[in-house]
Amino acid sequence: MTWRVVVGTLLVVATMIIVAFTAINEPARMADFDAGFEARSIEVGAALFESNCMSCHGITGQGIPGVAPALNSADLFNGTRLTEVGWTGALEDYVRLTVAGGRPLASTGTSYPQRMPTWSQEYGGPLRIDQVENLVDFVMNYGLTYAAGTGAETAAAAPAAEGIGANLTDPALPAGDAARGEQLTMDLGCVGCHVTATVGPAWLADSHPSGTGIGTRAGESVTASDYAGEATNAVEYLRESIVNPNVYLSTGFTAGVMPAIYADSLTAQDVADIIAYLETLK
Amino acid sequence: MAEIFKVHIPFLDDVKEKGLKDALVAKTDESVERLTAGMNIEAVRSMLRGDPVTRPNPRVKPHADGFWLHMRPTYFNKKVMPWYPTFRLGFLAVYFLVVETITGVILMFWYTPSTLVAYENMLNIMGNVPLGLMLRDLHKIGAEAMVAIVLLHMLRTYVTGSYKKPRQFTWHTGVWLLLFTLFLSFSGYLLPWDQLSLWAVTIGASMSEAAPPPVVGRIVDVLVRGGPGFGDIGLLRFYLGHVLLLPILLFIALGIHYYKVIIHGHSLPPGVEADGEDTARKVPMGVRDYFMPDVMTKELYWIALWTFIIIFAVTVGNLYHAPLEPHADPQITPLHTTAPWYFLWLQGMLKLGDKLIWGIIAPTVLLGFAFVLSYLEVGPSRRYIRRRLGMSFAALTVAVFAILSYMGTPYYAVSSSPDQEVMAVLAPQTHPGPLRGTPAEELVVGEYSTHAVASVPTAGLLELMELYEEELVKFGDDLPDSEGLMIIEDWQVGLKKITLRVLWNGGERAADLAVYLHADSNYED
Amino acid sequence: MTVKETAGPQIAPMTRREFLYYVWAASMAIFTAEFTGLMIWFIYPRFREGEFGGKIRVTIANFPSVDTGPKDFSAGRFWISNLGEQSLNDPRQSADYIIQPGLKVLYKVCVHLGCLYKWVPTNDRFECPCHGSKYLANGTRIDGPATRNLDTFEFVFADASGNVIAEVSTVGEGRLEEAGALEIPSNAAEIVVDTGQRIDGARNTRDGGGL
Repeated sequence: MTWRVVVGTLLVVATMIIVAFTAINEPARMADFDAGFEARSIEVGAALFESNCMSCHGITGQGIPGVAPALNSADLFNGTRLTEVGWTGALEDYVRLTVAGGRPLASTGTSYPQRMPTWSQEYGGPLRIDQVENLVDFVMNYGLTYAAGTGAETAAAAPAAEGIGANLTDPALPAGDAARGEQLTMDLGCVGCHVTATVGPAWLADSHPSGTGIGTRAGESVTASDYAGEATNAVEYLRESIVNPNVYLSTGFTAGVMPAIYADSLTAQDVADIIAYLETLK
Repeated sequence: MAEIFKVHIPFLDDVKEKGLKDALVAKTDESVERLTAGMNIEAVRSMLRGDPVTRPNPRVKPHADGFWLHMRPTYFNKKVMPWYPTFRLGFLAVYFLVVETITGVILMFWYTPSTLVAYENMLNIMGNVPLGLMLRDLHKIGAEAMVAIVLLHMLRTYVTGSYKKPRQFTWHTGVWLLLFTLFLSFSGYLLPWDQLSLWAVTIGASMSEAAPPPVVGRIVDVLVRGGPGFGDIGLLRFYLGHVLLLPILLFIALGIHYYKVIIHGHSLPPGVEADGEDTARKVPMGVRDYFMPDVMTKELYWIALWTFIIIFAVTVGNLYHAPLEPHADPQITPLHTTAPWYFLWLQGMLKLGDKLIWGIIAPTVLLGFAFVLSYLEVGPSRRYIRRRLGMSFAALTVAVFAILSYMGTPYYAVSSSPDQEVMAVLAPQTHPGPLRGTPAEELVVGEYSTHAVASVPTAGLLELMELYEEELVKFGDDLPDSEGLMIIEDWQVGLKKITLRVLWNGGERAADLAVYLHADSNYED
Repeated sequence: MTVKETAGPQIAPMTRREFLYYVWAASMAIFTAEFTGLMIWFIYPRFREGEFGGKIRVTIANFPSVDTGPKDFSAGRFWISNLGEQSLNDPRQSADYIIQPGLKVLYKVCVHLGCLYKWVPTNDRFECPCHGSKYLANGTRIDGPATRNLDTFEFVFADASGNVIAEVSTVGEGRLEEAGALEIPSNAAEIVVDTGQRIDGARNTRDGGGL
């Protein structure tokens, strides 16, 4: 019986020591834990970014000219952009409000005619509040690249070696690779306006009222009576839509919405690939 | 006039009579006797010394006159004290109930049952509140232990035939206690509001929808969930059930159960008495183990031991930590979602067929049978040899539940496409898994293939690629001529993107999975 | 060997077992005390930076100008007063208290019974709507049932890189001790107010202010 008293005492003392030891280590452990879950939030944010934001802001957040600004860029984190927009509060709050609310009206004075969607469920968007926080953490993590000037300035998509120019026949188009063309439409953000959104004419057959895809419509439009451009066949029509978009507008669409930069920023190969892809969308 | 303000303090009379020291000692002695409800200092000391009992015996007075010890017996039969026959499971079940109540009430200081903040509350408890992690882990380990222990206690009671006359009602209340314990564990499961909580409980609650007739089933389902799916209302209801309704029911049932145990006395080991005889109530003088001090000492020792074990396990021993998965997402059910282990048998049953028969009728029949089991008198003997049928029945039940539980695990008969299965081994959706558990330094940027496993630069990558290859071989029939690719890229400072790509049919078919991994996310812990 | 229950306790020698029981009981008592203490630490409110109870930062651009009346910061629940010559020479000021130029961070809660006092520009003083306590911009009580000057928060000045360049300290002795004001250093970029650390105002009970 006495042995129980002794062992019982030892157990209580051992428990006391273990609890005290744990308590002493708590501040360090808690900081570690917080850092761990902040890191996990960034991971979730990265996955959300991939499925929701990449098509406009670029795969690496580099921005797409005419579509959406760069997030992976020094000027966001060194205060330049905040001064430009007149925001006096914290950067994180600015990012949070932008992700949550989007841009209900297209930003004037910028080259982003298309509005940014609203994301938070608080304002009718698809994402929960914690998911908005995950995205904020992911975007803020780009800041580490520019901390104390360690990272390089990331410009938006660098201009191509030589732009194809506005002429519809010179230079002649090389053979096009439809698969590469499809990838380009995603990288450049064309899909942001022409597939799911209705900013520009829908490319897919079941998204367009006529029931036909852009591949078919190109041939029809070029021979339509109201056609005002200089193309003589479907390929030239598509080329003109890319390099000189305001010459002829499809019914219901206005001038000045499609970015007019592609004549300078895309190479002949790029255009050939894109056209090859578009032609497959009958 | 002075008379009105005269105050009579009896203690001062004593002091005048005996002198200060003696009066103080006498006062302390009286206080001790009052506190213990009948034992003064002399009696306490004599008990602690282990002196033989005097007549009248003061050590029974705390039981007779006190509140806390009133229901507890003054002595036990020595034959029921060792490991066998009880394995002390009943005591242990109550011990864990107390642990759960204390840790639960303490955790309530930092938890609000709202879908907007529940998960953040968990992160707060684990990362911003000192000892929050320890208390949460204790609460979870206590819950799992309690379910296991009450099940073992039930099995033990059946095997030793302790449910037989006159203890039928005790068994019956015990089945209620089992039910309340299971529901307490189930309702608590939802509270962290992570993916595991939401979906495990959704599956469980969905079974209520199958209750016939359909209109009743649907009403019950909506009442329980507070809507078509779990949300704020459902979470609040489960919380109220967990902290208020079920504990109240449990304590009432426990009171009745324990009272019945004491009234009849702990049943003796089978074989000690003649068949049909029950002499447990009267414990002869020679075989008494008195509560004060012997049984009390044993109980305190047992409490000290188990407290040490659970605290050790969740702190320095690092043997057990409650998981926390990503935030609950009502739009995505993770692959391989499982029910808690004590409900796997039910999941297994559901795979046998119709939700109504296997989800409602069969469990109800089983439960109903358990409730009335003690009243189905087969024979008066509690001896094992005379209960061959009963023993076989017990063994069969255990085996059937084990098999059903295995069937309830996600790997049995529920699988997605083979490429998804392969990728899910490396990067599962319900827990971190091997890929996330590999330290960040070992995941070197590059492209790796299962066709060139040996050429990977680090040991961690080697382990992963070998596992990858193994899984592809396992699914070789469905994925002929396969190759597994792992592409690791630097994505942001501290963040890597790992793309798993499974190619099969010689590269004709492919499937991708992207995993983002941050160096600090601590999945190895 | 009968024991007379009324004769008082007999002193018998302590055995080893009895002693060990007392040691065990003591260990359980100490464990309970340890656990209770840790649980108080557990349930003690935790403050992260930016919340009231934690540290709140105010940049220099948001400071009130000298002697123009205090500025309100609801998030931190404090007023910031910028005291200059005018405040130092205020005739209503009781001579018992040491008044310094610079910033003072005053807790918005009246030290009488917990209401929030207001700044009344026409009277150039704080006035509490509940029982009429009145205070100057530097926190000195000049009228009303309050029994001390306004409470203040500890704060430090930090430069642009976040280094602490000046800390507020107390002035006066005994019952007259309270926080002093702190002049704004030239390279200060912000102040960091620790709303978890409050400094009580000095005792002030006389009519018209004073000890």
